Amino acid sequence: MNDNLAKMREAAKRALESGDVGYVIGWGATKFPDKTSPLFMRKPEDAERLVWNEYAIPGIAKYLLDDLYPDKPIGVFVRGCDSRAINRMMKDNRIKRENLRLLGIPCDGKDDERCTICRNRNPLVYDELLWDEAPTPEPKDRYFRANAVEAMSADGRYAYWSEVFDQCIRCYACRNICPACNCKECYVDMTATGFQGKQHSRSDNLIFGVTRAFHVGDRCIECGECERVCPMGLPIMGQTQKILKDINELVGDYESGVDAESENYLGVFDLDDKDEFM
Amino acid sequence: MKIKKDKFKDALASIAKEAKVFLPMKGVYASEYRVWDGAGEPFFERNTALPPKELLFPRSERMYEYDLNAGTVTEAAPDEKIVIAGIRPCDVRSVEHLDKVFLESEYTDVYYRARRENLTMIAYGCATPAPTCFCDSMDVVPTDAPGADVVMNDAGNSYVLTVNTPKGEHIRDLISSFLSEGKADDVPAVSCSLKVEKPDDLHKQLIARFDDPMWETLSDACLGCGCCSYICPTCYCFDIGRENRGKTGTAFRCWDSCMFSDYSRMAGGHNPRPTKKERLRNRYLHKLAYFPERYGTSLCVGCGRCIDKCPARLDITNVPDIIQGSESNG
Ligand code: SF4
Ligand code: SF4
Ligand code: SF4
Ligand code: SF4
Repeated sequence: MNDNLAKMREAAKRALESGDVGYVIGWGATKFPDKTSPLFMRKPEDAERLVWNEYAIPGIAKYLLDDLYPDKPIGVFVRGCDSRAINRMMKDNRIKRENLRLLGIPCDGKDDERCTICRNRNPLVYDELLWDEAPTPEPKDRYFRANAVEAMSADGRYAYWSEVFDQCIRCYACRNICPACNCKECYVDMTATGFQGKQHSRSDNLIFGVTRAFHVGDRCIECGECERVCPMGLPIMGQTQKILKDINELVGDYESGVDAESENYLGVFDLDDKDEFM
Repeated sequence: MKIKKDKFKDALASIAKEAKVFLPMKGVYASEYRVWDGAGEPFFERNTALPPKELLFPRSERMYEYDLNAGTVTEAAPDEKIVIAGIRPCDVRSVEHLDKVFLESEYTDVYYRARRENLTMIAYGCATPAPTCFCDSMDVVPTDAPGADVVMNDAGNSYVLTVNTPKGEHIRDLISSFLSEGKADDVPAVSCSLKVEKPDDLHKQLIARFDDPMWETLSDACLGCGCCSYICPTCYCFDIGRENRGKTGTAFRCWDSCMFSDYSRMAGGHNPRPTKKERLRNRYLHKLAYFPERYGTSLCVGCGRCIDKCPARLDITNVPDIIQGSESNG
């Protein structure tokens, strides 16, 4: 067992024994060596089932929305991406800091493509840090998908996105894993309104794609979870990357979820908005 | 009968003269049963990301069109001949299950029937089950598909063919110039690495444990997406809707998933399956308890797709494990 896993099990066990937390969320083993599954530990002995390896990939912060009014704080292990997800949901007024007990675990990068663009392996918000931080290696091109799409002609882009969304089966896994997709009720589920047609057609699929992109918009924390969970392997990060790229080029340095205070760029209404680029 | 692998595409071309041929193929993003364009390579290394149900039960299907000006209603009548070459034994079994629902229960679904009657299945006996495959625990033999019209098995540089039905005989006649003598006993047995032990009365035990706390822990990590149901070859729920344009319009049906909140939401807003616990329990029980109760066989065919693609790595084989575990613990 590696030292860090021992520290995690110890921390989870301690938290559960003290009764300070209701439960702790981490990662557990599956029947497959290359897959882990989010694990909910309720008893101190559950901590023995914790796993920490290159396959501890799934994002675990989104589960906090399942339990908005917990009797006791919820313990969560937080890597860099989980901490940004938590900042995001706090800034969006969906979860409260006092309901969280954050066990910070500087991440070593996982066996997943999205980790190659990670800009914050170290947690940005936590109550205790279980081991020393290490610098995040130079990330790959932050806008790799958006750049590829920008290089296409207008017709080429239409053909590209049509091909992508013709393949979308509208399972909404990308929405359900996304920490920025945190509306109390999603427009997709308001079936009586007819906002989102239930048919699987190019137009209904594109409507979902575009709406998801703009609703997430500037709040995307660039965690890449949407692409990881897509059963069809669709390159949908290209959409939010384009929005973030435009903000960074037109307005200035911007990253979502690095804290829980900074203002958004798109999700605000301001009478003095210069609207220069609209 | 045998066919040399280098003659396989020539044989497909003969079939393509009178039917639309679908092959398991890699796509730009995910593998699925795709229309064969006369050149594409089959993808036989593992089962496709998407199941074949799309070909019988499209994700979106026009049922009828109406025109109030003309006073007409035109019902869709799919009549295209389809041959799937290389459908997996688990997927063949899934079609047998869909038949039970759409053809053999008290109501016959006309759209499904039209497509089904026009479908010929050439199965490809599995040589390489994926780590998530467990069909041989669900009464499927990976190398055989009794429900298919023809079964083909890998035998080195050729495929061995076994004909099961009159539709299969027709395929044999179409490709006879490419066939030579050969026996099926050259086929090595294949075994899935993932094994599931389940008691014979699994469905009864599961229903008896409807209120068991196990559903809570099983569903802890579920995200409530529709991924598992949409990629499952035997999930067949649908919704019906209409698109009106003035005095004309279309009625359609499209896939639906019991994992979505609006699936069980009633007029007035009450939802008898309010959380993911009730929804996941329903999906698992439908596969492993309700369908067996009604039709005498498990609805899960062990294709492993939902295990492989679930974002949270939920695993349906944990359900029989829990029952089996509590059995052996007394
Ligand atoms: S996860 Fe992929 S297939 Fe599912 S709705 Fe999102 S883009 Fe479509
Ligand atoms: S990368 Fe995808 S999942 Fe992550 S915040 Fe952005 S849109 Fe959401
Ligand atoms: S079991 Fe997995 S695939 Fe199915 S709804 Fe839950 S998270 Fe989605
Ligand atoms: S429940 Fe899962 S393993 Fe069973 S048939 Fe459906 S997708 Fe395949």
